[in-house]
Amino acid sequence: MSRRNRGIGLKAYGFLVYFFLYFPLIVVLLFSFSPTKTIVGISGFTLKWYQELFRDQNLLAAFLHTISIGAAAVGIAVVLGMAGAFFVSRVHFPGKSVFRTLVLLPYILPGILMGISLLVVIKALNIPLSPLTVLLGHVSFTVPVVMFQIMSRIARMGPNYQSAAMDLGANPVQTFWYVTLPMIRTALIGASLLAFTVSFDEIVISYFLTGTWMTLPVYIYGMMRYGLSPKVYAISAIILCLSLALVMLMSRYTGRSADVYRVRSRQD
Amino acid sequence: MGERFSAPRALLRGIPITVWMLCLVAVPLGYTFLISFFQVEGLQIAAKFTLKNYRLFFTDPMYSGILLKSMLLALAIALLAILAGYPLAYMLSFRVRRGKQALFMLSIIPLWVSYLVRIIAWRTILGNKGVINSALTSLGLIQEPLSFLLYNRFAIAVTLTYICIPFVFIPVYTSLEKIPRNIMEASSDLGAGELRTFFNVVLPLSLPGLVTGFIFAFIIALGDYIIPQQLGGTQGIMFGNLIWSQFGFAFNWPFGAALSFILLAISVTILGLTSRFGSTEGGFLSE
Repeated sequence: MSRRNRGIGLKAYGFLVYFFLYFPLIVVLLFSFSPTKTIVGISGFTLKWYQELFRDQNLLAAFLHTISIGAAAVGIAVVLGMAGAFFVSRVHFPGKSVFRTLVLLPYILPGILMGISLLVVIKALNIPLSPLTVLLGHVSFTVPVVMFQIMSRIARMGPNYQSAAMDLGANPVQTFWYVTLPMIRTALIGASLLAFTVSFDEIVISYFLTGTWMTLPVYIYGMMRYGLSPKVYAISAIILCLSLALVMLMSRYTGRSADVYRVRSRQD
Repeated sequence: MGERFSAPRALLRGIPITVWMLCLVAVPLGYTFLISFFQVEGLQIAAKFTLKNYRLFFTDPMYSGILLKSMLLALAIALLAILAGYPLAYMLSFRVRRGKQALFMLSIIPLWVSYLVRIIAWRTILGNKGVINSALTSLGLIQEPLSFLLYNRFAIAVTLTYICIPFVFIPVYTSLEKIPRNIMEASSDLGAGELRTFFNVVLPLSLPGLVTGFIFAFIIALGDYIIPQQLGGTQGIMFGNLIWSQFGFAFNWPFGAALSFILLAISVTILGLTSRFGSTEGGFLSE
């Protein structure tokens, strides 16, 4: 077999994987516009499921809850994560790897462990489940997202710019505001969007920490118990499009893939 | 990189995040470990030390059986995710020039698409009146819907593999991109064919990414409880469901805590083993 043909085989396989990845998402989109519940012999186009969504007050409320939890969690996570990123990047201390692992835990451990362990403590302290308990969970797993994103930006930036600013007489606040912040700005935006996306979709941990004040994924999960109604497809399609929009926006700010690209072209 | 100025200030920056993680992650995990030695009396958790939760797990073959089955399924899922994700990363890293950036995005986007939406999609595809069955029926290939598609471990495996592919793709791609291209040229100059170069050069050098991806997929698959609940049916009970049920209708928190701790011990052991090979961040959280 010639070199060329082998490449074609790999590309065909790659195409199949992409098909596997995207076919399910297309199915959800198609079902949300289908007047009937079957896809074969799809017989028309309707927006009525979307209209029904807007009449569902509980669903709209859950949507707003999710957005406010996401915004609040990201706000706290940015403060904690940014400070933490500078701390771990610029200070040498024993047990640094322990610190990194501790921060990483809520992100890499199975969500069920984080949810359950928080629930157990919350119950032991007799705290009722509320938006606040959901928020506690969401901050914990968005902090690592923010911290590690900003850490990698700091690592690329190096310490010289700050030193130069300080040598030229800037105080720490000025240095941060005029030098550091502009340099990490895009990483900060990218990390916030990423953290928001993660929070927006989260169900595994939220499930344990939510009382009657439900976030959107918890609400949809409840709807799914009664089978998949066309309404479920409509809200899924909206979430799908929102996630896509967030990812597109995010990719403009995070330099990861772009950087990998630049390094490669220099080597070629 | 040492802190050259205002060291106390720099130390202060680490305090909020440390306090948060200790209070809301370490303490809860520790407390869960503690109550795994308690017992339920009536409807209350009584703080009387006992080993019976762990004894129950290790002596009743039903529980250890579920753990074993879950670990095997998680292993299969991780391998399937590698089977799909590794070639994709390889193709993107070595075979694609034009449109590489777009294909990279296309490969990682599913990671950020809502977890629930992906579950809904697979329920729709695999169901009795789902996409596959209605397509096959209308083509006249089958009379009765294929029932083996949904509500079993096959459905769990398909959906979790789907979820895990980007988790394998990203670290593998990252490690493939780090391989200096001249090493591969050297290999081919010395007469190695493409396959030989792959097995002797590329594969060993991408091992850190591969191990990281494998571990991520394994841990995700092992701890999941929502996918088995949604797609697994009665025979698809996984370890995550077992834990979940102790906090739901079974209402045996101490036993649930013991099971959680067993899952934690497995996850931490595996992560510890991995950190020797790859990075535990796996490139997801770095830019």
